[in-house]
Amino acid sequence: MKILLDRPRCEGHGLCEEAAPGLMHLDDEGELVLDHEEVDGDLLAAANVAVRVCPVAALLLA
Amino acid sequence: MTRRIVIVGTGIAGLTAADWLRAAGHDGELTIVGDERHAAYSRPALSKAMLHGDDLTAHRLPPPTHRATERLGVTAMALDVDRRTVALDDGSALPYDGLVIATGSRARRLGDGAGELTLRTLDDAIALRARLAHRPPVVVVGGGALGMEIASSCLAAGCPVTLVSRGRPLLHQLGTFLADVFVTAAMERGLTVVETRSARLRRDGAATQVITDEGTVVEADVVVTAVGDLHNVEWLATSGLLRGGALDVDSRGRVRPDIVAAGDVAAFPTRRGVRRVPLWTSAIDQSKVAAAALLRGDEAPALDFQPYFWTEQFGLTLKAAGFLPLAGPPAFVDGDSTCGPALMRWAHRDGSGTAVALNYRIPVPRLCRLSEATAA
Repeated sequence: MKILLDRPRCEGHGLCEEAAPGLMHLDDEGELVLDHEEVDGDLLAAANVAVRVCPVAALLLA
Repeated sequence: MTRRIVIVGTGIAGLTAADWLRAAGHDGELTIVGDERHAAYSRPALSKAMLHGDDLTAHRLPPPTHRATERLGVTAMALDVDRRTVALDDGSALPYDGLVIATGSRARRLGDGAGELTLRTLDDAIALRARLAHRPPVVVVGGGALGMEIASSCLAAGCPVTLVSRGRPLLHQLGTFLADVFVTAAMERGLTVVETRSARLRRDGAATQVITDEGTVVEADVVVTAVGDLHNVEWLATSGLLRGGALDVDSRGRVRPDIVAAGDVAAFPTRRGVRRVPLWTSAIDQSKVAAAALLRGDEAPALDFQPYFWTEQFGLTLKAAGFLPLAGPPAFVDGDSTCGPALMRWAHRDGSGTAVALNYRIPVPRLCRLSEATAA
């Protein structure tokens, strides 16, 4: 599976980073950076949680 | 051994609990019960992007992966903590070894419901959006964050909007300084604000009137109220779990070892006392802790609650880390304009602080660190 970011939607709340700190982080400007785009196995569970907590649905798994 | 876990509530608290129960290794039965027929969605989006503009997907969350049995459109009616069963309105009873109570809250109403719209659920948002299509005059009752967001969205949808507020809008939520910033922006965008000591509704034929304590009568085609929420605990009335009508949990979300509660329904210990904090991130943080505690008890970490609040309205985006409301003016950390972009900080007596980003992009972890840092 691949994490997809809808960048214009992202408001930089950072809840995804809190849920899956190894997969993504906000840089100093508050822009979301995906550290892993391809996720499987254990990472997939964390990715799912991260995608779900986004209040503006800026993340997708496809 | 917690083999069968039942979650009552399909909002973000119930959904997060399901995700975290699975992540923490629960591979037994998992059942989620909820009275809404929709799959879980983002509630914060309902009062923002959902009401105006073309984006009808802003509330959508990805499909669940928790492999739980979902029973949507079913209402929990009673809890028997001795038999460990949840009675449902379809006449069945669900047995559990572990229970997550996440029934949330509902909109408090001013009247008996007729002619009064509220905004809490996806169905509410769809109904309100449909009513705005021909740009009718709108009255919003309630000067809290939700009422102001609704007013902003209705203005953006092209409606003339009057906001009836008990006292100055947002004063109780944000404090004097930020309330002034938001009310100024709102009035510049055309919002009419009526301040009152209290207001009630009156039906006049097909119309609904808002009557203030001072005798002002405001009438509009569409009346929306946003006057607080009531937690959904009626189904727990005979459970023995309520104390003075409240559902209190410990710092790990537990009501008792086999029952946890999270989200808007639960009152939990914070640095400012035991209270409900009916906000999106609060529900998520509580649910993670509660899920772990249901499986691991005292070995699970306690909740270290860090308030995080955001709102978007009248062209302003505010993110706040730390407790609200805020007394007096802030120290400006970056920027100096009261309407942003600016990064501000308020110091509290206990040494903590609240950091606020107004139209200012900043990673939230950094905002949280700024709130905690003691002033130099």
